[in-house]
Amino acid sequence: MGACQRIRSDLCLTENRVGRYRLGMRTGKSPVVAGFQAALPLVLGYFPIAFSFGVSATRNGLSGTEAFALSLIVFAGAAQFLAIALVAGGAPVVVAGLTLAAMNLRHVLYGPTLLQKAGPDAARRFGWIWAFSLTDEVFAAALGALAKGQRFSEGFMVTLGFCAYGSWLAGTAAGAWAGGGALDGWPALSAGLDFMLPALFLALLMSILHGAQVPVIAIAGLATVAATWWFSGTAGLFAGMIAGAVAGVSLPMRRLSDAG
Amino acid sequence: MRAEVLEIALIAGVLTYLWRFLPLRANLRDMQPNGFLARFLAATGPAAIATLFVAEMLPLLHGTLAQEGRALVGVLGVGLAYAWRRSVVFATLAGALACGGAAWLGLS
Repeated sequence: MGACQRIRSDLCLTENRVGRYRLGMRTGKSPVVAGFQAALPLVLGYFPIAFSFGVSATRNGLSGTEAFALSLIVFAGAAQFLAIALVAGGAPVVVAGLTLAAMNLRHVLYGPTLLQKAGPDAARRFGWIWAFSLTDEVFAAALGALAKGQRFSEGFMVTLGFCAYGSWLAGTAAGAWAGGGALDGWPALSAGLDFMLPALFLALLMSILHGAQVPVIAIAGLATVAATWWFSGTAGLFAGMIAGAVAGVSLPMRRLSDAG
Repeated sequence: MRAEVLEIALIAGVLTYLWRFLPLRANLRDMQPNGFLARFLAATGPAAIATLFVAEMLPLLHGTLAQEGRALVGVLGVGLAYAWRRSVVFATLAGALACGGAAWLGLS
């Protein structure tokens, strides 16, 4: 059976081995079950990263409560690690807050991208709830699931996002409780945990990879390296996403839609 | 808990939430299926994931030779595991395990 070609938000067309097409509903799983399944890699990936955040925060002079509050209110991994440096360095409150927010500005693209992928009838009544958890990883996992034929629903998004959020909070609490030197005697474990996020992004990238998108991916990667090299890591994130997306404008729409 | 840490968290948290939520209110119904915006948004997904992967890898590839070696073993682990099982969970865990295993075997 071929891949699902979505013709409406809840219908897809699949081609069998003898070239006949079949019209059917997209995956029959309940949104909550599908959300849990899509969240599993995030839960496994987020806990150790958040644990590292809790450890790093307490090592740099934040209390456990302060580390947990950052995870509870901000819920943005890279920005939270930067927050540790800003707080420890004594940066002014407004400057630090705006710097962290600016670092997350790329998130403005995520909601419209998901809704465009979901189709014109996609519900967004409870967007004010699931938008809170629309991190890089949740966005990538949702996009990967939609590319595999998962039907977009707000129940799916809430389950996916808040499972990830729960894991992030639990990992932060555990790391803050363990304290600043928790991973000092475990270099192999520390190395494995450090690689969890790159591994997750690579696996997600492979799950949506399609030949037609290679130019988009290559240009995004090159722009990230160049802007990080010349400016900063945050500039690299912006440059990669924008350059890749602009490169995609030159590709036929059907090829982009089929793939990701 | 210090007041300044709470204030930083609130400024960053509220603005980050607005970045995530406000674009959902945009009206996409009138968007041309083959227009610039539709193509731009369709390409944003793969571009974003590729960007995030590269951004995560860069610090690992600018470390010591051992760190670079571990990262490459991890990438290989993800690639082989995904090719074998086609599972994001399995590939992620396999990559982390490969990287940690490489450190345990001496690349530390």
